[in-house]
Amino acid sequence: MSNNNPLQPIPCEILNVKKESTHEWTFRVASDADVDHGQFMQLSIPKVGEVPISVSGQGDGWLDFTIRSVGKVTNVIFEKEAGDTLFLRGPYGHGWPVDEFKGKHLVVITGGTGLAPVRSMVNLCADNPKTVKDLTLISGFKNEDGIVFQNELDKWKEHDHFSTTYALDNDEKEGWSTGLVTTFVKDIPFDTFGDDYAVVVVGPPIMMKFTGLELLKNGVPEEKIWMSFERKMSCAIGKCGHCRIDETYVCLDGPVFPYTKARYLVD
Amino acid sequence: MGYSLNPDQTAELLNRLAEDYRIYAPKRFPKQGRYSDTDIIRYDRIQTPDEIVWDQKSDYPAKEVISPIQQALFYFTEDEYRESKKAKKPVLLLARPCDITAQLVQEKIYAENGGFKDLYYDRVHNKVKFAVMDCGGGDDTCFCVSMGSNKPENYSLAFKFDENGLKAEVSDDCFADYFDGMPEDDFTPEFVEENELKVTIPDLSDRDVRLALKSHPMWKEFDKRCISCGSCTVACSTCTCFTTRDICYGDNPEVGERRRVTASCQVAGFDQMAGQREIRSTAGDRMRYKILHKFHDHKARFGDRHMCVGCGRCTHMCPEFISISATVNKMADAVDEIKASLADGGNHVE
Amino acid sequence: MNHDIDVKKMRINCFRQSKVPGEFMLQMRAPGGMVDAKYLSSIEHISKTWGDGNFHFGTRQTFDIPGIKYENIDAVNEYIENYITEVDEELCDVDMDKVAGEPQEWDVKSGYPTIGARNITACVGNYHCICGNMNTYELARKIEPIIFPSHYHIKINISGCPNDCNKAHMCDFGIIGTAKMEYHPERCIACGACVRNCEHGATRVLSLNEDTGRVEKDPCCCVGCGECVRACPAGAWTRSEKKLYKIIIGGRTGRQTPRAGKMFLNWASEDVVLNVLRNWQKFSAWVMDYKPEYLHGGHLIDRAGYKKFKEIILDGVELNPECLVAEDIFWHETEYRSNFNVKPLSMHHTAGPQGE
Ligand code: SF4
Ligand code: SF4
Ligand code: SF4
Ligand code: SF4
Ligand code: SF4
Ligand code: FES
Repeated sequence: MSNNNPLQPIPCEILNVKKESTHEWTFRVASDADVDHGQFMQLSIPKVGEVPISVSGQGDGWLDFTIRSVGKVTNVIFEKEAGDTLFLRGPYGHGWPVDEFKGKHLVVITGGTGLAPVRSMVNLCADNPKTVKDLTLISGFKNEDGIVFQNELDKWKEHDHFSTTYALDNDEKEGWSTGLVTTFVKDIPFDTFGDDYAVVVVGPPIMMKFTGLELLKNGVPEEKIWMSFERKMSCAIGKCGHCRIDETYVCLDGPVFPYTKARYLVD
Repeated sequence: MGYSLNPDQTAELLNRLAEDYRIYAPKRFPKQGRYSDTDIIRYDRIQTPDEIVWDQKSDYPAKEVISPIQQALFYFTEDEYRESKKAKKPVLLLARPCDITAQLVQEKIYAENGGFKDLYYDRVHNKVKFAVMDCGGGDDTCFCVSMGSNKPENYSLAFKFDENGLKAEVSDDCFADYFDGMPEDDFTPEFVEENELKVTIPDLSDRDVRLALKSHPMWKEFDKRCISCGSCTVACSTCTCFTTRDICYGDNPEVGERRRVTASCQVAGFDQMAGQREIRSTAGDRMRYKILHKFHDHKARFGDRHMCVGCGRCTHMCPEFISISATVNKMADAVDEIKASLADGGNHVE
Repeated sequence: MNHDIDVKKMRINCFRQSKVPGEFMLQMRAPGGMVDAKYLSSIEHISKTWGDGNFHFGTRQTFDIPGIKYENIDAVNEYIENYITEVDEELCDVDMDKVAGEPQEWDVKSGYPTIGARNITACVGNYHCICGNMNTYELARKIEPIIFPSHYHIKINISGCPNDCNKAHMCDFGIIGTAKMEYHPERCIACGACVRNCEHGATRVLSLNEDTGRVEKDPCCCVGCGECVRACPAGAWTRSEKKLYKIIIGGRTGRQTPRAGKMFLNWASEDVVLNVLRNWQKFSAWVMDYKPEYLHGGHLIDRAGYKKFKEIILDGVELNPECLVAEDIFWHETEYRSNFNVKPLSMHHTAGPQGE
């Protein structure tokens, strides 16, 4: 096996599997890979296929992947359990510019499983309170079944530095709000942040588009907004072309983009 | 050094070359065309000079030799996997100027983009030497001069075939020995200086113009005309897109392969993620994506040249008679219109 | 008007009786419906000189010129000598001095010697059509010398592909151009276009196997149309070089029992098609006890019974390995009159030699 093959996957052991919701499970996999918050890896099952999955958490010798069972490969991954093997390659792409966020007020707005690519960064802020001044988290989900990371959401709610708004699009839930995440943007106390803040948005394309416009409407300058894109990927190394938008390759130049760029990426 | 060979000497030359090289050239596959009793010309290994089609453009591009439509990346057994093997013998690839220039584009993507070198491209490409074939000016779909691909630089041999044999120039010394004892001649290759077809690519450097172009009604024409078949991109000298596909063998599901299979942005599903809606869901959207890639995006990223080399194969192979040059001209008109309206203080996008 | 004309003799000469007493319509053969366009001026000349100035496209692709007066027929026959010799003798290699294979001298000035074997019709085929699998008029020109001149009736329709635009299903002996399709998995991009085309335009025999990344086919029901070939962007389906044919027999229109024909041979080679037709005269002669009647081929098959037809028509024919033959044929007729064939024994038709 040549060691200069960037497509070569490495077999890794599954350490445990945690069910976040019916269709979203978190797989903890043994790996020493050095991953930036917001980067992704290619997970594969030989004879079934490969999928790009963002790293949702990391620790000493392990990585977490929160996976939604929506296709052939993820369905087969859901048949795996602790002790089984997953094949990994990566990490790939550009993650969150955490250094840029350090010491600032951080606003995180997520829709659905868009929480996964920010989860490790939010945990970093929770575990090391000095990372950011404070963190405003707005997380929206379609309905109760769609909620992911319930335990962590509960934990973050109690955190001193955190101010959280959790919402379901249409349904009611105790202690939760009802409405699209865009409706809560106007409640963010941007005037108290001065110039010293950054906003992170992740979710489905429509949600990101309207959240971006809503932020601009509330006086947030383009340069303070960051987004993470999810696109079809096959190679993750800039060869297959599936993820390309104009001259931009999401796998190489993203998935995290400054809004100054993201705003003008039209598929 | 130039040579002039009669048919027997040409055959002898190929015999000598074949000892050290696998020779690939455009070859006729009788009656294998889309329509009954039409031929197809595509690249294949050849043994004798009469197999080489030098007076007609191949239907499918030379890139197939280096990045084939399908190729195995890994073989899987029950719990192991291994990389596919590379071929040992080097390749001599007889190709037209556009085909050879197209390799510059392939190289940018496969060997450079993102700093990753694709092993499967690299290991073949490293073994390929090019012989540029005189194309006699091509046909009425060619616009290589407009795209600056008419004079390739990276070739070892230059060949001009005609009924009387072959004229050749050796520009890479490692080929000198094969011509031992062959009659010399002052032949130097000439490249086409003008095509019947000329294409002017509109200036798309302005972001507002580009955004307006994306939503311009011109693309709607293709919702009706284009059938999203992908023939244009499969035939394209410069398209590189592929999908990775794992398969298991029908007779033994425990063993299988990870394969690379050509993909096309013109075919439905190219941008579709599992469980999500397709992003470019109309033929017009897909056409716009292809045209902008060929005539703006690639150059915007890599700087040196447009992706399209003007080989005209997409036009030639389109079953719906959609001409790429006509499409670029329509785009140029749309851009003029957009620029005029922007200058007029017309509506900016967003 | 007082005429003494043998209209049957005129019919055999390819002049059809008009409702206007004393007038006839000439029917000129154009095998496969294709001739040099230069003959259009001859047609015009005949029509303007001897006809009524009009021209009709015959339903069997003959050039039909109505309004020819009986007394002009000799002049017309003399004029069409060139057309007959150029089209039939030269283009189709017909031996005009034989009828049904038996020597019988042809007077070049006498017009057409027989009407029995009708003009062979054809769609334009792959000479032009993007669907066609074969050159239809070239096959027609090869068949012409086998069936013509002859007093035995046969209508042959050739269609270039199983879309059957030329209604091979509605004649005695229909020929449909097909090919076996070859799949080259190494060129397949698994786009599914062939699967969709076969589903929408043909027999839904293809499917994309996601596990193997290959297209699979249920070969039993492929009609050999080539829709998959036309759809493929990568040349992963190709037609076999060898042309193959479906033979559809026994179709007809008519006042008694119209019906669509049924498949007799599938995947027959050109040699098989021609050799089968070489047995046609023999079969017709046997059924009618060697006395030609005005009776079309489908009816002859009915009289002999399919099994007997099969026996005679395949006699000495060496089938190509792919060729399949109908073991039996299950006709499905429109019975304008119910139980039309239940009748006194004495009214039953006979088949085969009847003795003295
Ligand atoms: S887009 Fe068309 S003309 Fe340009 S390189 Fe591709 S096939 Fe050739
Ligand atoms: S035109 Fe389409 S298929 Fe060709 S390289 Fe560009 S994105 Fe890929
Ligand atoms: S442009 Fe032509 S070849 Fe390309 S996808 Fe459309 S119909 Fe097919
Ligand atoms: S030839 Fe056969 S497989 Fe192909 S479209 Fe026709 S019926 Fe389907
Ligand atoms: S149309 Fe061609 S490339 Fe597409 S699935 Fe069928 S055989 Fe494969
Ligand atoms: S995923 Fe293949 S180019 Fe980005």
